[in-house]
Amino acid sequence: MRSVSTESRFPLQAVKPLAELGLYRQRCLEATRRAGEGGIVRRQVSPVSGKRLTPWGRISGMDYGRCPETGSLFLVDMPQAERWQALLTEVSRFRQEPEGFHKRLERSRADHVHEPKVRWMEEALRFQGRSRVRLLEVTTGPSQLTPWLAFCPWLEAVETMEESALAGGTPGADGNGGPPVDAAILPESLDRSDHPVRLLTVVGQRMPRGGILFVTGLVASGYDMAVLGAKNLYLYPPDRANCFSLTGLTRILERTGFMPQEISTPGVLDLEIVRAHKQAEPGLTLSGFDRILMDSDLGTRESFQRFLQEQSLSSFARVVAKKL
Amino acid sequence: MHCLIFGYGYMGQIRYQVLANHPEVKRITVVDPGLDSGRSRLGERLLPPGSPIPWEEVDAVFICTPNQVSASLCVEALHRCGRVFCEKPPGRNAEDLARIQEAAGEVPNHTLVFGFNHRLHPAIQAARALVGEGGLGEILYVKGTYGKSGGVRYRESWRNRPEISGGGILLDQGIHLLDLFHLFLGPLKVVDSVLVDSFWKCGVEDNAFVLLRSREGIPAFLHSSATLWKHTFELSIGCRDGYLTACGFLSKSGSYGREQLVIGRRQFEDEAMALGNPREEVITFDRDDSWKEEVDEFLAAVKEGRPATHGTLEEAVGVMEVIREVYAAGLTPVGGSR
Repeated sequence: MRSVSTESRFPLQAVKPLAELGLYRQRCLEATRRAGEGGIVRRQVSPVSGKRLTPWGRISGMDYGRCPETGSLFLVDMPQAERWQALLTEVSRFRQEPEGFHKRLERSRADHVHEPKVRWMEEALRFQGRSRVRLLEVTTGPSQLTPWLAFCPWLEAVETMEESALAGGTPGADGNGGPPVDAAILPESLDRSDHPVRLLTVVGQRMPRGGILFVTGLVASGYDMAVLGAKNLYLYPPDRANCFSLTGLTRILERTGFMPQEISTPGVLDLEIVRAHKQAEPGLTLSGFDRILMDSDLGTRESFQRFLQEQSLSSFARVVAKKL
Repeated sequence: MHCLIFGYGYMGQIRYQVLANHPEVKRITVVDPGLDSGRSRLGERLLPPGSPIPWEEVDAVFICTPNQVSASLCVEALHRCGRVFCEKPPGRNAEDLARIQEAAGEVPNHTLVFGFNHRLHPAIQAARALVGEGGLGEILYVKGTYGKSGGVRYRESWRNRPEISGGGILLDQGIHLLDLFHLFLGPLKVVDSVLVDSFWKCGVEDNAFVLLRSREGIPAFLHSSATLWKHTFELSIGCRDGYLTACGFLSKSGSYGREQLVIGRRQFEDEAMALGNPREEVITFDRDDSWKEEVDEFLAAVKEGRPATHGTLEEAVGVMEVIREVYAAGLTPVGGSR
């Protein structure tokens, strides 16, 4: 097993500024509410452990439950499958609108989000001695990662499929198949899947033994998630209908036939996210230690962020797993 | 498979554990006249003193003995079995190695592997994957430091008695660095070297400094030491587009620190910010399967009746040739010149 930490630094403003998140988040919440009006499916048990979810908190009136074994968080009342798929398409469109920060920060996000992701995949594949790889990108398009993948010389072919379309099929059925792939990337796709176990199972069926799976996501065991809890504005449906803990993420991969090779939390923004929340809401209650940290100088904050990375305590996680 | 292990010291026990968990291995017999069969936990797996070696029954032989007997055992095992895994070094000196080479030449279709497990450590494997085309580009230089502090019984150890071991720290630990240099650069020539017995006064080198060059002229520098009071393993590889530093080492004692690979990428010359101080990425490894992988590959080669892919006689000859040349120059008196 390996883990990766990085000295790369970029500000929150460069990728997902809190001040500009509000509008997008509000539209996501409204769209989720509307999708739920057509009927909901109540999630009673954790997709990770099968144990009954315990009440955790509410995000704009929507309940999240907590997996008692792993601490992973799940939106309890899920809109029905067809509506969920339409919802993901709708919010993906929001991200493409010219007034949104995703579009405005396209260049910066490419530098700090997509390019490192592509390099990470390339390195991990080199470690496995792989080249000329057929890749399945699991995301609700249009994805900003797709154009980057198109120019990777180590990729032989890229197929992009929506997570809901994949998870919605019957595992093993021919119609759900398609040509086999050597690797698959789920860029925060598990965070927004209505059936994460089924999604992973179907993706696994597209791969031979030894196929490589890349997963990125926000994790509930990370610092800013743990400190801010339900007040964390980056936790909202549908993008974060699921917020696995690092343990939960590992467990669900193992449960679906994958063996993790790398488990890292190379996030660089945990402290910045908490600071941004505190600045936006000065009355926000933090522990004495967290207050000292927020008020500390840049060097101390960077050291602490590095510590979070090294100890798998940042809220941005990435996993490389091998199909068994 | 029935495997025979000669020597049940530090390495013999490691090999035993790996073999005991190998699905193809059904039986292990240990030969170690120094072991008390009454007190050993090996039970009937320990060959009683005086019993004949069951050569006809064994499929593979592991030689984990002190250096002065390893070459003789290797030669006999080649002749009697033909499938031999021998711990490094491959003999004490060029003469020992020549005997092994001769025996190997007499046994067609043999499988012979020497225990150079460091190249299978995860940080080294990852570094290997990152150099070259599409990665960090061609190698510009390699530099390695490997050393330990010796310890209170250092002087008494057979490893530092030249008649038994054949040399000092270079032959004991530095040989692994040389093997890694070969892995990355291919065959090497000695440019210069300094051997000193600066602290332990065992009559063999406790520090070796060796400057080498590959066939393509790529330089490499080795420091092997028994006076590194902080146990150290560090292999730096400078490449056209960046650099790699493998440091720390997953070992039984954990004394070499966490095994990591630092990856730095050369900045473009027009980058104004932090030029010469690139942001590094650090990969930390928490599992070392090198012992297992090494034995797996050897036993797979045995089963398939083919030569092994690493730890080969040719590679062993390469590192021993360098060591022979360095030892030929002798120890440098401390404070004087050679």
